Amino acid sequence: MITLTHFLVVSACIFCIGLYTVLSKKNAIMILVGIELMINASILNFVAFGKYDKVSYGGQIFALFAIVLAAAAVAVGLALVLNVYRHYKTINPDEINELKDK
Amino acid sequence: MNQLAHISPIYTALLTVAAPFVAFLYQALVGKRDQSGIISLLGIVCSFIFAALTWLAIWNHPVVSAQLTWFIIGASTFKVGILLNNLSVLMLLLVSTVALPVHIYSRAYMKGDPGVHRYWMYLSLFCFAMLGLVIMDSLLLMYIFWELVGFASYLLIGFWFTRETAVQANKKAFLVNRIGDLGFLIGLAIIFTQFKTLNLVDLFGEAGLIYQSAITNGQWVSPVNSMDQIWLTIAGLAFFIAAMAKSAQFPLHVWLPDAMEGPTSVSSLIHAATMVAAGVFLLATVFPLFNESALLFIAIIGTITAASAAYFALGQYDIKRILAFSTISQLGFMMVGIGIGTWDAALFHLVTHAFFKCLLFLSAGAIIHEMAHFKVHSQLDFDPQDLRNMGGLRKYMPKTFMLMSIASLALAGFPLTSGYLSKDSIVISAYEWALSKGDFYLLIPILLVIVSILTAFYIGRLIFKAFFGDFRIMDQVRDKLHDAPLHEASKTMLIPMFLLGLCCLFPVFSLNPVSYHDSWLMDGLLLDEYTFAPSHNAHVIIPLLLLIGSVVSWIIGWKWYVQQKYPLNANSLSLRAAFNQAYINELYQWIFVDGTLKLAQFCYWFDRYVVDSLVAFIQFIVLSLSRLSVWIDKHIVDGFVNAVASVAYWTGNQVRLVQNGKLQTALYSVFLFVLLGLIYLIFF
Amino acid sequence: MEIILFYAFAVLAIGSALLLVNLKNIARVLFLFFIVLFAMAGLYLFALADFVAITQIMVYVGGVLILMLFAFMLSNKELLKDLQDSSGSFLSMPKWQAIVLTLGFLTLMILGINEWQQSIPTWILQARQNNTEIIPTDNNIQQIGLRFMTFYVLPFEVISVFLMMALIGASHLSRKERNR
Repeated sequence: MITLTHFLVVSACIFCIGLYTVLSKKNAIMILVGIELMINASILNFVAFGKYDKVSYGGQIFALFAIVLAAAAVAVGLALVLNVYRHYKTINPDEINELKDK
Repeated sequence: MNQLAHISPIYTALLTVAAPFVAFLYQALVGKRDQSGIISLLGIVCSFIFAALTWLAIWNHPVVSAQLTWFIIGASTFKVGILLNNLSVLMLLLVSTVALPVHIYSRAYMKGDPGVHRYWMYLSLFCFAMLGLVIMDSLLLMYIFWELVGFASYLLIGFWFTRETAVQANKKAFLVNRIGDLGFLIGLAIIFTQFKTLNLVDLFGEAGLIYQSAITNGQWVSPVNSMDQIWLTIAGLAFFIAAMAKSAQFPLHVWLPDAMEGPTSVSSLIHAATMVAAGVFLLATVFPLFNESALLFIAIIGTITAASAAYFALGQYDIKRILAFSTISQLGFMMVGIGIGTWDAALFHLVTHAFFKCLLFLSAGAIIHEMAHFKVHSQLDFDPQDLRNMGGLRKYMPKTFMLMSIASLALAGFPLTSGYLSKDSIVISAYEWALSKGDFYLLIPILLVIVSILTAFYIGRLIFKAFFGDFRIMDQVRDKLHDAPLHEASKTMLIPMFLLGLCCLFPVFSLNPVSYHDSWLMDGLLLDEYTFAPSHNAHVIIPLLLLIGSVVSWIIGWKWYVQQKYPLNANSLSLRAAFNQAYINELYQWIFVDGTLKLAQFCYWFDRYVVDSLVAFIQFIVLSLSRLSVWIDKHIVDGFVNAVASVAYWTGNQVRLVQNGKLQTALYSVFLFVLLGLIYLIFF
Repeated sequence: MEIILFYAFAVLAIGSALLLVNLKNIARVLFLFFIVLFAMAGLYLFALADFVAITQIMVYVGGVLILMLFAFMLSNKELLKDLQDSSGSFLSMPKWQAIVLTLGFLTLMILGINEWQQSIPTWILQARQNNTEIIPTDNNIQQIGLRFMTFYVLPFEVISVFLMMALIGASHLSRKERNR
C-alpha cells in the first residue's frame, strides 16, 4: 500500500539533494538545477496531499501553478546567468562577489 | 720708671705675649719685602722689657689673675684668663731672655738665606706661642698654645723644606708630638670629668679641688664626682706622656736628634732652651695631681732617658747631634727631679740648662757657619758639622772656644758655674729620696752620678776634638790655601753668646757658689717641705764625687782625643750601637711605619677584592633579577596580552569568513537558521 | 506490484538526483535531470494526478529542460565546466558543511514525517471517511478544467500574465548588446 508517507519521504530526499546542489556547486547553472529539484520536490508534495482533496482539487491545481512558476524562474534565471557571464566572464558564484562595475 | 711700675702686671704680661704676635703678623703680611728681621727683633726686645716688668711686679708678691668668659656649654662656663704666679713669670722672663740673644744672633747667622722672611715669621710665632703657654690659667688654653708651639717647631725644623731629610724630620717631630698631645687631651678629659673645671687656680691653688679630694675605699673622691682610684694614676701618666713627647723622654725622644735639620739658631732656642722645657713646666704646674706610682714612673723614665741619651752621645760625630742627646739627657735629669718630688730643683736646672745649652748651640752654629764658608771657599765636599773634619779651631776662633768651654763646664757641673748648683741639687735630692725610700731606690742616684760623669766625658770629647789638635780637613788643602782657613765669628754672633756666657756663671743665680739652697730661684719656688730628710753627708760627698769623676774623665779624654792615643776600636759594636741610637729608629720604622703601610695595603686588598666582589656579587644578583623580570615581562605578561589578542584575532578571522561575499554562503546561513529554528520549534 | 513500481520510480529519481550532484559535466547533468523529471512524472501518476504528470512532461521536460539545454549549449565552452573541486576523482569529498546541513534537513523532515504519521490531520481523516479521495476512475482533467474556470479563475489569469511577463523580461534581459 503506498501511503502518504512514501511520497513524503521521496519528496524529502529530492528536496535535500536539491538543497545540497544549491549550496555546494560552483556553477550557476547547477544552482538553477538544484532549485528545480527543490521545486519538483515541492510539487510532489502538493500532489501527494492533493489526492485527498476531491472537493476542490487544490493540490493538483497548485502543482500546475508551481510548474508554471518553475518555468518562469528558469527562464529569467538563465537570462540573468547570461548577463552575468557577459559581465564577469565567469559563472562561478564565488567570483561574483562585487557590486561594483568592473 | 715710676709710671711704668704702676702699670698693671696683667697688661705687661699681655703685652709680652702680644709683641711677638704683632711681629708675626707684620712679617706674614709683608713677606719677602722685609728680609732684615728688624721688626721681629724689636718685638722680642719689647717682649723682654715687659717680661722683666712683670717679673718685678709678681716675684714673691701675691698671685694675680684675670678672667673673661669665653663660652658656655650646658651648665659649664669656660673662661679665658691669665695667671701670674712665681712659676709663670719666671718662665716668661726665661723665654724672652733666651729669645733675645737668639734673635740678634740670627741676623748674622741667617743672612743671605733666600727664605729668611719666613724664618722671622716662624720665629715670632714661636715666641708668641711659648710666651702665651706659660701665662694661661686654664688647662684648655695651655693645650691650645701647646699645640701651637709644636706647630711652630714643625715649621722651623722643616725650614729648608727642599731637603728630603728636613721634611722627614719635621714630619717625625710632629707625629711624635701628637702622641703627647693625645696624652694631654686624655688628662684634660679625666680632670674635667672629675672636677668639672679646667682652671688652674680652682684646681691647684691653695684651697684647690685637688687638695679637697682623697682616695677612700678604692675610689678617687672629689667634691663634685668620684671614680675608681686607678684614674688618678692614669691622669698623672697621661700628663706625663704629654711631657714625654714634648721634652723628648725615652721612648718618644726619637724626634729630637732629627730636629737638628733645622737652622742652628732654631735648635738653640726651641730644642734646647724653651720648647723642650714646656714639658717640665707642665709637670710642675699639675704637680699636685701626681700620686706615688705616677711619680715613681716619672723618675724611672727620667733615669732611663738620661742614661740612654748619654750613651748615644758618646758615639756621635755630628756636633749638633751630640748637643741634641745632651739635651735629652739633661731633660731626663729634670724629670727625675720632678719624680722625686723636688720640682723646684727641676725648674732650677731647667733655667740654668736653658742658658748654657743655648750658648753651646750658638757656638756650634758659629763653628758650622765658618766651616761652611770654608767649604765654599775651598770647593771641597765635606760635612761642615762632622767632628772628624774639625780640629785645632782654638787657633782660629779663640773667643768662640772660650765661650763654648764655659758652657761645657756648666753642663758638666763644674764648681763655680750655674750648672754645678742645679745639677747637684737634683743628684743630692735623689740620694736623699732614695735613702728615705729603701735601698733598692739607690739605683737612681747611682745612675745619675754615672750619667753626670759620662756627660762630662762626652762634652769634653767634643771640645777636645773640635778645638785641640790639628785641623784635620786642612791636610787635604794645605797647599791650596795660604791664609787662615777660618775666621772668628762676627760680632753680631759673639755679643749674644757673651751675654749668655755671663749667665752660665754662678753669681746670676746664687751668691753662694757651693750651696744651692741659697739660690733666690729655689727660694721663690720653695715647696713647704720635701718628703724626705736631708742628709748632710750627701751634701758634701756627692759634689766631691762628681768633681773627681769629671776631672778624671777629662784627663782620659785629653789622652784619647788630643794626644790621639785612642785604645778602643772605633768600629766596635757598642760604639756603632751608640751611633745608631741603639737602632730604636729602625725599630719604630719597622713597627709603626711599615706596619701602617701594611695595614693600608691590607685594607686596599680587602676593599678591592672582598668589598668590591661583594658589590659585584650584589650587582650580579640585581642584574639577574632584572633579566628575570625582563623575561617575565616579555614572555608572560606580554604573552598573556598577546594571547588575548591572538584569540580575538583568530575569532575574528573565523567569524570574518561569514562575510565573504559569496552567494552560497548566504544561502547556507539562511537554511542553517531555518533548520535551527525548526529544531527549536519542534523539540523545545 | 504497485509498490515495486513505486520503489523503482523512486529509486530512479533519487538515484539520478544523487548522480547528477556528483557530475562535473553540465551536459550530463542536464540529461540526468531529464531522467529525474520523467521519474517524478511517474510518481505523480501513483498519486493519481495524471494531468499534472502530463503537464510536467510537456512543460518541464519539453520546455524548461530544452530551454536549459539550448541556453548553455549555444553559449561559451566556459559554461560547461563545473569548477566544484579540482581534486579530480569521481568520488571526491564534497563540501562537508552542505552535507551536514542537508542531512540535518533530511533528518528533521523524516522525524517530522514520523511524528506526523501519528497525528494525521483531520481533514485527511474526514476525506477518508467522507470518501472524497480521488479515485482512479475520476476524470481529473474535466474536474481540473472546471475548477480552473470557476474556483481558481483569478490565479489562473494572474499566472498567465505572470508567465508572459517573465518571458518578456527574460528575452529582454538576454538581448544582444548593440555596439557602443
